[in-house]
Amino acid sequence: MFKTDGGEELFIIDGHMHLWDASPENQLNKYGAGFIGCFYDYHRNLSPAEYVWDTALFQKYSPERMVKDVFVEGYVDMGIFQPTYLKDFYKNGFNTTEQNSLLRQRHPERFILNGSWDPRDGEAGLDYLQSLAENYGIQGVKLYTAEWKGNSKGWKLTDPWALRYLEKCEELGVKNIHVHKGPTIWPLNKDAFEVHDIDEIATSFLGLNFIVEHCGLPRLEDFCWIATQERNVYGGLAVVMPFVHSRPRYFGEVMANLLWWVGADKLLFASDYAIWHPRWIVDKFMAFELPEDLQKEFGVSLTLDVKKKILGENAARLYGIDIDVQKKEQAHDAIARML
Amino acid sequence: MRLPACCEAEANPGGRDMRREEVYAQLAKVSDPELDEPLTELGFIAGVELDGSAVTVRFRLPTFWCAANFAFMMAADIRERVSELPWVERVDVRLQDHFFEEEINSGVSCGKTFVETFPQLATENLGELRETFRVKAFLARQERLLRCLLALGWSEDAILAVRIGDLPGLAPSREGTELAERYLAILRERGLVGDADAPAFVRPDGRPMEPAAFRTELAHAQRTRLSVEFNAAFCRGLLKTRYGETDPNLPESGVPDEAHPRRAVRRGVE
Repeated sequence: MFKTDGGEELFIIDGHMHLWDASPENQLNKYGAGFIGCFYDYHRNLSPAEYVWDTALFQKYSPERMVKDVFVEGYVDMGIFQPTYLKDFYKNGFNTTEQNSLLRQRHPERFILNGSWDPRDGEAGLDYLQSLAENYGIQGVKLYTAEWKGNSKGWKLTDPWALRYLEKCEELGVKNIHVHKGPTIWPLNKDAFEVHDIDEIATSFLGLNFIVEHCGLPRLEDFCWIATQERNVYGGLAVVMPFVHSRPRYFGEVMANLLWWVGADKLLFASDYAIWHPRWIVDKFMAFELPEDLQKEFGVSLTLDVKKKILGENAARLYGIDIDVQKKEQAHDAIARML
Repeated sequence: MRLPACCEAEANPGGRDMRREEVYAQLAKVSDPELDEPLTELGFIAGVELDGSAVTVRFRLPTFWCAANFAFMMAADIRERVSELPWVERVDVRLQDHFFEEEINSGVSCGKTFVETFPQLATENLGELRETFRVKAFLARQERLLRCLLALGWSEDAILAVRIGDLPGLAPSREGTELAERYLAILRERGLVGDADAPAFVRPDGRPMEPAAFRTELAHAQRTRLSVEFNAAFCRGLLKTRYGETDPNLPESGVPDEAHPRRAVRRGVE
């Protein structure tokens, strides 16, 4: 819960968080080492100095540490676990639904558990998706199109098998599809970060919501265009938000564009924990004011009401959370006692 | 005329540094396709080694996972540009700390195409991708110049009346002159400067800009420019985080400070 100077309370849902194991013992190869190394550079590059961890902690941190950082210190009331399997890089995976579910069991009022699927798993993967829905009641999935699988170095949302998985999601009521683009794809000569395949499937699957992680960065211009056309496309603000600290002007320009093109009802706050700690992001975002010239040029503003939507209300709507009910359920839970 | 490398190096101890400068001048012509900035300015060049007529160029990127297709383009462009020097007989390109470094280094150094380098993963070469990003670069350069003119109080009509021949002396400020030069350079690259009396502000394919669509197109170009700049800021920051502040081309590499090739290249440009 974030309390403004005026005493107003903001219910905060972190739209993208991880509990990963990237320790050397779990790494399978140089790609596993390279993956966490890249995350660590993101972390070091954009975090305020006092929030920078050492490598060993960043590679593997405890569930207790996560709970303390995110819920006790980081203002977050609920967090969405977005699994990333990466079984070609890590022996037990980077963070899977099953691993995440252990912490959710301890704090069911605090976590939303998402699953994942990979169209290259064919029929067996469809069964797995069904089991995730039945066993965990997932309402969303995180898809990583750059994931390696044997000789394959990625996939596209418009692949025939991907369409079958999306149909299955509709059937199972798994309606929130978080899409994360990475550096590889099939075929490798195409721009891996291109977001036009999202446009196609968003039109075909109107019953699903597509949350584009990182707002399509580094292809913000295409994302804005698509999100304007499609009413079921949302922007996840992971990676965008940390710029509020290191590059506030860029952050302002990007937010002005997003508010104008995508809209205040379709943007979701995310820390991408443990890449970034939500505390400083929330603090700096709450203190941030959109520069006047940008407000004038774009005709948008970043008022307290808009911030409330971005920080929690939009995600609550997507995941069917009644904030008042949820607050009551949390009022006396284990985490409430730590606050 | 070309002298045998060994004779020249012996006869002229300064020849080696001169050649190094020539290599850096060629490298300054290679840009990151996504960021539209020269590798030499981005700090991507990790070192240049000369051995007679053989040149080895080491380069590095902001992350282990930078997209392989762009990395390949930069590597191939390095090879092509350095090979243009008349005394160069062999160019080895050494991408470092990258997930596909082995494939890219051996492919490019043997002069293979992208498809030949990645027969299982690629269906086509990179022409289409390259063009997509040259269009983005075009829009971003044009937008910066248009914004500069609008900020100076130019009207849309006045802007649309500008001819190609007007571009060099168009903006009074130093910044404006540089923006106009960069825009002119990409017009030239795209073969759009044939007629000095033709309108200067056109679409990437040379069609004229419609006055009614001016503001919409400007807004589109602005998003493109913002994306490019946001990426460039992120990439510069990540490179610094990954490799520290040190410039590998400074004296540790054995080049005397005053002969530092990057500085020499900059002097040449300014």
